[in-house]
Amino acid sequence: MSAREQILGRIRAAAGHAALAPPRFIPGARRTDFAAFAQMLVAAGGEPHGPVTAAGLAGRVAERCRAWSAGGRVLASDAALVRLGGGPWQPVPVDADPHALADVSVAILCGAFGVAENGAVGLDGREALPRALPVLCERLILLLDTSRLVSDMHAALAALPPDALAHHHFTFVAGPSKTADIEGVLVLGAHGPRALAVFGIEG
Amino acid sequence: MPEREAGGVKVALFIPCYVDQLAPEVGLATATVLERLGCTVSFDPRQTCCGQPFISTGARAEAVRLARAHAANFAHAEAVVCPSASCVATVRRRYAELLGAEPAAELAARTFELAEFIVSRLGTCDVGAHFPHRVALLESCHGLRELGLGQPTEQLGGDPSLLGVTERLLRGVAGLELRPIARRDECCGFGGAFSVGFPELSARIGRDRLRALAESGAEYATGTDASCLVHLDALRRREGFGPRAIHLAEILARRAPG
Amino acid sequence: MTAALDRAATELLPAGPRLVAHDAAVFALREKRDAAGSAEPDFERLREYARAAKAHTLDHLDLYLERFEARATAAGAIVHWAEDAPALNRIVHALLAERGARQVVKSKSMLTEECGLNPYLESRGIEVVDTDLGERIVQLGHEPPSHIIMPAIHRTREDIGALFARELDVPAGETDPARLTEAARRHLRGHFLGADAAITGANFAVAETGTLVVVTNEGNADLGMSLPKLHIACLGLEKLVPGLADLAVFLRLLARSATGQPISVYTSLVTGPRPDSELHIVLVDNGRTRLLADEHHKRALGCIRCGACLNTCPVYRRAGGHAYGFAIPGPIGAVLAPALGRTAEQRRLPLASTLCGSCTAVCPVKIDLHEQLIAWRATDVPRGARERWLARLAARVLASPALYQLAGRAARVVWPVLSRRWPGNPAAAWLAARALPEHPGASFRARWRARRREGVQ
Repeated sequence: MSAREQILGRIRAAAGHAALAPPRFIPGARRTDFAAFAQMLVAAGGEPHGPVTAAGLAGRVAERCRAWSAGGRVLASDAALVRLGGGPWQPVPVDADPHALADVSVAILCGAFGVAENGAVGLDGREALPRALPVLCERLILLLDTSRLVSDMHAALAALPPDALAHHHFTFVAGPSKTADIEGVLVLGAHGPRALAVFGIEG
Repeated sequence: MPEREAGGVKVALFIPCYVDQLAPEVGLATATVLERLGCTVSFDPRQTCCGQPFISTGARAEAVRLARAHAANFAHAEAVVCPSASCVATVRRRYAELLGAEPAAELAARTFELAEFIVSRLGTCDVGAHFPHRVALLESCHGLRELGLGQPTEQLGGDPSLLGVTERLLRGVAGLELRPIARRDECCGFGGAFSVGFPELSARIGRDRLRALAESGAEYATGTDASCLVHLDALRRREGFGPRAIHLAEILARRAPG
Repeated sequence: MTAALDRAATELLPAGPRLVAHDAAVFALREKRDAAGSAEPDFERLREYARAAKAHTLDHLDLYLERFEARATAAGAIVHWAEDAPALNRIVHALLAERGARQVVKSKSMLTEECGLNPYLESRGIEVVDTDLGERIVQLGHEPPSHIIMPAIHRTREDIGALFARELDVPAGETDPARLTEAARRHLRGHFLGADAAITGANFAVAETGTLVVVTNEGNADLGMSLPKLHIACLGLEKLVPGLADLAVFLRLLARSATGQPISVYTSLVTGPRPDSELHIVLVDNGRTRLLADEHHKRALGCIRCGACLNTCPVYRRAGGHAYGFAIPGPIGAVLAPALGRTAEQRRLPLASTLCGSCTAVCPVKIDLHEQLIAWRATDVPRGARERWLARLAARVLASPALYQLAGRAARVVWPVLSRRWPGNPAAAWLAARALPEHPGASFRARWRARRREGVQ
């Protein structure tokens, strides 16, 4: 008998198949505006910007990039380029070997939605390509439609795009990478980006 | 404040073995307070030990034997009152496993810790006590977390103004100044057999409690659990600092002079 | 008879500034949990849902495991089953060896700690680099993690600075956490970029979608999952949750209970491999089915490894994780040890508790931890012959009011002798740090009789 059969056999003998699942969890109401989201993002060490208009977006993002990039590479996803147009950024090289992205100063991606409860931004696997881009870059910029805010994780997981999970991964990013492993002292930029800016786009 | 006529509730004293042998004044004070509140207090000398040490050391057969004896001794008592939250918790929370759910529940319904009995059953927070001193409260783990005598700090979203029964009684004592302590419901480190099997850790935990009590500026440390107080006072006498331990019953038994 | 854990605590976390710092740093996490839970009005309802959801899942674990396996496989993952630690280690090693993988990056997995995966792989010529900063610190220091969430919480910045000066080419005397973290970032980047494979744990496995959920604050798991072409995820059977709706509840509880954050920085839902890559999932038993069959203790399988019970435990904070001598320390470690542990000392861990109940009060999944410890004490904790004899004797005395009173009188006679320290004094353990209570004089019952005789009110 395979390990699988042994293990499942023991479980079947122990499991009563009786305990009912709890009824659906209904979360309390909360503010779901950009200001509420921004407040949680700040608490997580991130930088909210805006909301800005679609027209003003490129200028604001460019300003951030110049302060951050220090002459290094700035890459933007295809979806981000559509929103931004021209500026101090380059498209992500097609079929980029993720290892070659280690020197990216700033990456600009579009968030699928934002979560007001905790300041997280959902990143679809089809947007974060290669997957390493938003974790390898030194600093990360996420573009977010303010109409795409959900209240909490229940709404967030219910709002996953239909085939989001068919594309390997979907990641919630809530602020820059951090650690407190040394004496509990908070340090930003453990392995992933040292800083995260989220630009809310209105209209 | 004159004695309350509490309708003559018949109370059977449940005096923990270690109170009987090591802190008899706690038992006497308990009787004094209850009588002052109009109760008729009796003590059945057949009682010895509720079995808690045997439960916590895993000596199940012995625990069952003592639990049965305890239940038999108090079978006809209207109200069983005990000046130690941990012993009451043993009866209310551990006896079902030893005696069966129904017999245990029946006994549990009649078994009370002293402070909860005074506040909830006799309906008063003022027993006419006078104790003009600075006092810090050593919360009882069993009292808070097993008996619900108050809200433990882990419990979130409750009403912060809701005081536990012990605190309410202390605030009803004339002249008493209640001093808050840091980490108000952290364990004292006694844990019964733990204090003997893990003496270093027990002392480390206890010393931190002692320091918190000392830093509060209190002259006395009190609580509903005589076992915690015995342990703390033993540490105090070795370490040479900290407020003296005095059981809640002893404070409540004190009256104004004259 | 002083317990091994007590002696170990004295040695490994000596009294003094180090102990004070450890206790304070760990309790700070408890305070953060309180603040985060208080700020979330749904918190208590989330706990109750989580308890019920875990009870339901465990009671249908076979069905959920089968569903998870089917969906994960359909998404392109390969699912393996490991009966025990040796099986896990063999499976992982085979996957690596078959592909010629020699450099591995690993993100935090208490399961792999439990199974001893690192030493197994290293003895077979595979370099395993732990990438969580705390895990890397203890790895470089050749010691196990001492906390589920903060592996190096027992280390001061001076310790870490000295370690990094030796291992990472950091200037001697550097103690600033930010600069030390920066050095680790640079050092580990190289390992991420050069790795042949990544090994991760999984915080949850969603049956409905065949999805693994990997949660970190550092992003180290995501770097591992996005660079090498081989990802091996190891998880205990009990990590299953039925669906995404349940996942939402657990995610809302996990970070709040662990560190006081509303959510961790990176919450990755992984379904199937990246294009041109492999994902292997290893489901591990290693004693979990034994717990599942135990009516009293199956609830312990609901644990989501948040560490809240460690943070609140007065014993853990003053003993440190290493004193437990088990992969998982603290209250949950003591609850799992009799089933998952191997040694007699590990089976005695349920004794390492004052039974204050704080752990039960903070558990996000409402496991009745302290009651589990009491239950283990009656069944699986080994009791020596002398101990059992003493218990029988004590019970016989206590069962007889006459004998009990006699014993009380006898104790009074020898009391002054007991108070002094001499070799063989049975009160020695008590007296190590405390005075004996003062000579009590007459017992309560004697005074009660006298009082009644005198008619005193």
